[in-house]
Amino acid sequence: MSDALFRNEPVSSTPYVADGVSISLAAPLKRYSLRARTADALETVLNAKVPQKIGATEGGIACLGPDEWLLRTPADTAMPTGAGLPVAITDISERSICLVLEGPRAAELLMTGCPLDLDNFAVGRATRTIYETVEIIIIREGEDRFHVEVWRSFAAWLWTAFTAAASH
Amino acid sequence: MILIHCPYCDEKRPEIEFANAGQAHVARPLDPSSQSDEEWEAYLFIRANPRGRHHERWRHVHGCGRFFNAVRDTVTDKFETTYKAGEPRR
Amino acid sequence: MSGYRLENGGRIDRSRPVEFSFDGHSYQGFAGDTLASALLANGISLFGRSFKYHRPRGIMAAGSEEPNALISVDRGAGRFTPNLRATGVEIHAGLNAFSQNRWPSLKRDFGAINDRLGMFFPAGFYNKTFMWPRSFWEKLYEPAIRKMAGLGDAPTQEDPDIYASTYAHCDLLIVGAGPAGIDAALEAMGSNKRIILIDEQDELGGGALADPALWPWLERSRKALIDAPNVTILTRTTAFGYYHDNFIGAVQRLTDHMPDNSDSPREKLWRVRAGEVVLAQGAIERPLVFDGNDTPGVMLSSAAKVFANRYGVAVGTLVALMTAHDSGWHDVFALAKAGVGIKAIIDVRTEVSSALLDEANRLGINVHLNHSVTGVNGRHRVTSMQICNNADYVGARIDCDTLLMAGGWTPSVHLWSHSKGSLAWRDDIGAYVPDQPNENVRCVGACSGGWDFGSGVIVDVLPTPKDQSRIKAFVDFQNDVTAKDIKLAVREGFRSIEHIKRYTTNGMATDQGKTSNLNGLQIASTALAKPVTDIGLTSFRPPYTPQTFGAFAGHAKGALFQPTRTTNIDGWAAENGAVFELVAQWRRARYFPRAGEDMHAAVNRECVAVRSSVGIFDASTLGKIEVVGPDAAEFLNRMYTNPWKALEPGRCRYGLLLKEDGFITDDGVSARLAPDRFHLTTTTGGAARVLNMMEDYLQTEWPDLDVWLTSTTEQYAVIALQGPNARKLLEPLVEGIDLSADAFPHMAIREGTICGIPTRLFRVSFTGELGFEINVPTAYGRALWEHLMAEGAKFDITPYGTEAMHVLRAEKGFIIVGQDTDGTITPFDAGLDWAVGKKKPDFVGKRSMARPDIVAPGRKQLVGLLTDDPNVVLEEGAQIVADPRQPIPMTMIGHVTSSYWSETLGRSIAFALVAGGHEKMGGTLHIPMPGKTHEAKVSGMVFYDAEGARLHV
Repeated sequence: MSDALFRNEPVSSTPYVADGVSISLAAPLKRYSLRARTADALETVLNAKVPQKIGATEGGIACLGPDEWLLRTPADTAMPTGAGLPVAITDISERSICLVLEGPRAAELLMTGCPLDLDNFAVGRATRTIYETVEIIIIREGEDRFHVEVWRSFAAWLWTAFTAAASH
Repeated sequence: MILIHCPYCDEKRPEIEFANAGQAHVARPLDPSSQSDEEWEAYLFIRANPRGRHHERWRHVHGCGRFFNAVRDTVTDKFETTYKAGEPRR
Repeated sequence: MSGYRLENGGRIDRSRPVEFSFDGHSYQGFAGDTLASALLANGISLFGRSFKYHRPRGIMAAGSEEPNALISVDRGAGRFTPNLRATGVEIHAGLNAFSQNRWPSLKRDFGAINDRLGMFFPAGFYNKTFMWPRSFWEKLYEPAIRKMAGLGDAPTQEDPDIYASTYAHCDLLIVGAGPAGIDAALEAMGSNKRIILIDEQDELGGGALADPALWPWLERSRKALIDAPNVTILTRTTAFGYYHDNFIGAVQRLTDHMPDNSDSPREKLWRVRAGEVVLAQGAIERPLVFDGNDTPGVMLSSAAKVFANRYGVAVGTLVALMTAHDSGWHDVFALAKAGVGIKAIIDVRTEVSSALLDEANRLGINVHLNHSVTGVNGRHRVTSMQICNNADYVGARIDCDTLLMAGGWTPSVHLWSHSKGSLAWRDDIGAYVPDQPNENVRCVGACSGGWDFGSGVIVDVLPTPKDQSRIKAFVDFQNDVTAKDIKLAVREGFRSIEHIKRYTTNGMATDQGKTSNLNGLQIASTALAKPVTDIGLTSFRPPYTPQTFGAFAGHAKGALFQPTRTTNIDGWAAENGAVFELVAQWRRARYFPRAGEDMHAAVNRECVAVRSSVGIFDASTLGKIEVVGPDAAEFLNRMYTNPWKALEPGRCRYGLLLKEDGFITDDGVSARLAPDRFHLTTTTGGAARVLNMMEDYLQTEWPDLDVWLTSTTEQYAVIALQGPNARKLLEPLVEGIDLSADAFPHMAIREGTICGIPTRLFRVSFTGELGFEINVPTAYGRALWEHLMAEGAKFDITPYGTEAMHVLRAEKGFIIVGQDTDGTITPFDAGLDWAVGKKKPDFVGKRSMARPDIVAPGRKQLVGLLTDDPNVVLEEGAQIVADPRQPIPMTMIGHVTSSYWSETLGRSIAFALVAGGHEKMGGTLHIPMPGKTHEAKVSGMVFYDAEGARLHV
C-alpha cells in the first residue's frame, strides 16, 4: 500500500483499561466471507480445513451459518477468487473492525448488552449475535478473551457503550 | 423476550436475534404470468390470521442468517416447533 | 420510650443517628430506618393527601404495598423522584423528602373541599359530568382536573443520573428472600446451579426481619449464602416483571440510599434468563372495610409489628385491633411484648380459639367478639372509635390513637400471573392461589397460600347500622375508591370485574390494587349475589412496583441513545464545518457553509461548482452488495426489472427493484466485475431491506441457484468526483486504468489503484456531469479525500453535501426512491418504463404490473412542475388541486415530492405525484400554500441537459 495514505480507524488505538477488563482495537486483519453449499466445497478451493458445525472455528475460519464462513487472517495471504466455481469468496477486510475484550470481567462486560449465556459459550466458539441493537460477531479466543467484530460505522457507538459499561 | 429454536443452529436463541417474515408456505407461483387476477391477488395479499396454531416464517437475521418455518400459537405465543425452509408443513 | 421510639429492639443502629428533612422540617432517625419508621418515631401520623378527595392519610403498611404514604425525594437539580413509598425510602444524611398532593400545606389543603363534596364525586363522575360541551374538555375540564387530582409532580429537568443494565443467566432465580426464599436458596446452594436471590428490601429476611426469634437463623443463613460461590444476592432489587421463557426484569437500586450523589450508576436493570424460577413473594395483609378506615392512625396490624420489631417504633400509645383473622391477635401480643400499650381487640367473629382468649386475658387486653368498628374519630390522627355488636348494633366508644386492621391475607401472585400461571380460588382463605404453571416456576411460602398465620373469616364490609350510602369505607386507598362506588357500579349494570375496575378505578393506581383487589372482588361478589369466581379477576401486569424511566432506558441516552453511523470521512466533514442530517441511521454532511453563508447560499455555490469545475461528495453510505456465484446474472435477472444476463464485465447498469406487488422499492447502479461477480449498490436507507429481500427470494424461492450475497456497504469508502474537471483531477492519481472517454465510457467500472490503494472505480453520475465514484477500502477513505482536496485545489474543488446532491439530481430528473416514490408507485407511474425489460418472462413484480388497479387510468404519476413565478419554491409535501375555486375541502389530486431552487437554471424546479399526471403535460395546476395559491405548469422531469451532452465527454 501507499506510504502517502494513512489508515483512519473509527476508535482509539489506545486501549481502555477498567477494573478487570480492557478494551482494545485489534490490528488490521484480512477478512473474507466464504460461501458454499458445503464445507467440503470450500476445502477443495482453499486447500484448508473448514469447520462443519455452526459456531465452530478452525485455523481462523469460523462457521457462522450453514453456508457461511468467516476467514480472518493477519497475513496478506493470497486468496483464490473461486471464479467459475460454486463458491463465493468476498473480501470484507475493511467492513468491520475487531475490539478485543480481555480480563476476568470480559464475559461480564459483553453480557451487559448481549443476551447470550456466555457461561455456556466455550472457548473457540464464534457466532453472529447482537449487543443491544448492534449486530456483532463474537469469537471466544480464551476464557477471559473475546474478539468482537463490528461493522465500522457502528464501532464508535460500541466503543462508547463498552467503555461506559466497563466503567460501572 | 422469548427464546426461539433455530433449526439450523440447533439451539434456542434470544428473540432479538430474529425477525418475523410473515406467513409460511406461501410459495411464489412458478409461472406468475399464467395466474389469473384472483389467483395473483390471493398470493399477494390474502393471509391467514388464526387464533392458535400459525405457520410463520422467521429469519435468524443476527445469527446464521437463515429463513426457517415455525409453528407458533398466537394465543400463548409459544413455539410448537421450528423447521428448515423447504421441509414439509408440520 | 422517647416519643414513639421503643427503648429496645429493632434492627436499627441506635449508635448512628441520621438527620433528614420532611416538608422542610428537620428530623432525626437511626441508620436502618425507613422514612416511614423514622417519621412515625417522631410522632408524625400525617403523610399525604389522597388522590381524589384530598383526605388526610397516614401510613397503612410497612412494605411496598403501602398505598397512602407517597412522597417525593429531591436529590438536587434534575434528581427529583415523585411517588415513592415512604415505607421503602431508607433515610440517610441529607435526605430531602416532601409530601404530595396538597396545597398550600399538608395540614391545610385547599383541595380537601373535594372531601366535603364527596357525595358529588361518585364512581364514573368524570366520565358522566365532563362530557359536554366537547370543546370544554381540553381547555377547561382537563387542566382543572389535572391540577386537583393526580399524585406527585413530574420532574421537569433532564435526569443527570446514569443507569446501568445487563443480561444475566442462572439456573435458579429466587424472587423474595423471606424465610421461604432463603430456605429455597439454602436447599439449592450445595448443587452446581447458578443461583440468583432477589429481594426488594435492603437486607435479606422478609417477614423474619420482624420476628426477633428468627434472627439467629437469619444471620446463619445470610452468612452461608454470601459464602456460597454459586449464589448471587441482589438486595434493594425489585423483580418487576415476568416475561416469556423465564425472562425476568429486575431493577437494583444502587445509590438512592446513600448520602451523596455519585458518578456510579443510580440503578441497574437486570434482564435475567432463568432455568427455573422460585417465587417466594409472601402475602399482603388485607385491610378491613369500614367507615373512616383511612383515618391516619388506622393501619395493618402486621405493619405495626414490623415497625415495633424491625424498627423499634411504637405506632401508637393506645392501640386497638379490629380483626377477622387470628394473625391480628398474634401481632398485638407481639406489640404488647415489645412494650406497646394495647387497648382492645375487636373481632368480627363470634368465636376464636381459647388459646388466643387466654393470652389476651393474661396480657389484660379487653376483647369484644362479634363486634365491628363502625366509625373512627379524629381527622389528622385517630382519637377514638365507635364499635358495635354485630347482632344488636349496641355500641360503645373506645379511646385510642391507633387502630390496627387484620382482614386476612392475600398471596402475592403478581409475578406468577405475569408468567400466565393459572390461579385457583380458595374459599377457606378467600383468595386466589397459584394453580397450574405456564413456565418452569413454582411458588413457595405464603405466596402459595401456605402460611402459619392462623385462620380467619372473610368479610367484604364490616357490619354497620349506618346508611351504607353515607359512609366512607375505603377499598382502594390510593385511588379513593369506596365500597359505595363499587356497589354503585353494580347497580348501574356492570357485571364483570374488568368493567367494574375501569369504571371505579379500583386497583388502577400505582400500587395496582395490592391491598384493594380482593376486597373489591368480595364487595362486587356480594352486590351481584354471585360467587367471586363468576365475576373474574383483573390481570396483574408489570411492573410490580413503579420503576424509573431511567432504569428502562439504561445506557440508551445521550451519545448512546441510538447508534449514529458515521463514514470514514465524517471526521473531516465535522472539522470543516459541515451541517449534518440523519439519513436512516447515518449521519451525512448536508452542506458545507462558508463564513456568512446560509444553507441556500452554500447549496447554490456547491451546485455551481459541480457544474462548472469539480465537486467532491462522500457517497460511502450507499448500500453495497457483492453478488457472487455461477448463477449471479440469472439471480439479478429475476430480481430486477431490467435484463442483466447480457451485461458485459466492466459495465454498469441502472437497476430498478420492485416488490412483488409491482411497486418500486429500491434502485441503484450496479456493475459486473466478472461473469460471476457483481457489485450492486442500493439506496442508503434501503441497504438492509434490499439484502433481506434478496436473501428471502434466494433462500426460499430459488434455493437451487448457486449464488451468494454479501453486504459490502462498509468494505468501501466511496468518494464521488463530479464535474467537467473530474477526469483531469483523477488522471494523474490512478494507475492501471485508462480514463479516456473511449476506454472508460459512462456507466463502466474499472479496477486499478489510486494513490497506491486498490480501487473499484465507477464512471457514473448522479449529477449529469462527467463523474466518477471511487471505491477504496474504508480505512483509506479520509486520507484519499484529503489527498483529492489537496490535488483538486487547482480546480477549486468543492465539497458538497446531500442537499446539493438532491438539487443536482433533480435538475437531471433523477428520482429518489422513498422521497419521490411512496410504496405505491410503479415504474410506469415514475416514468421509468424504459428500465423494464418487456421481453423478460418474469421478474419480481412483473405479474403485478398487469393488475387491474395498476393498469387503471387516473393513477398518480410523477411529473415535473415549473411554477409560473420562477422565484417561488414550492413546499415539499404541498397538496395540489386542479381548481382552486372549489369549496374547502378541495379535491386534492397530488402533492409535491421534491422542490428546490436551481441556481444553474435561475429558477425553481419541482417533482410532483399527480393523478393522471402524464396526460396533463403543459397544463396548469394549483398549489395552495400558506398565504397564497401558486400556479405551476406540468412538465417533463429533466430540466437540464436533456440530451446528456455533458455526460458523454
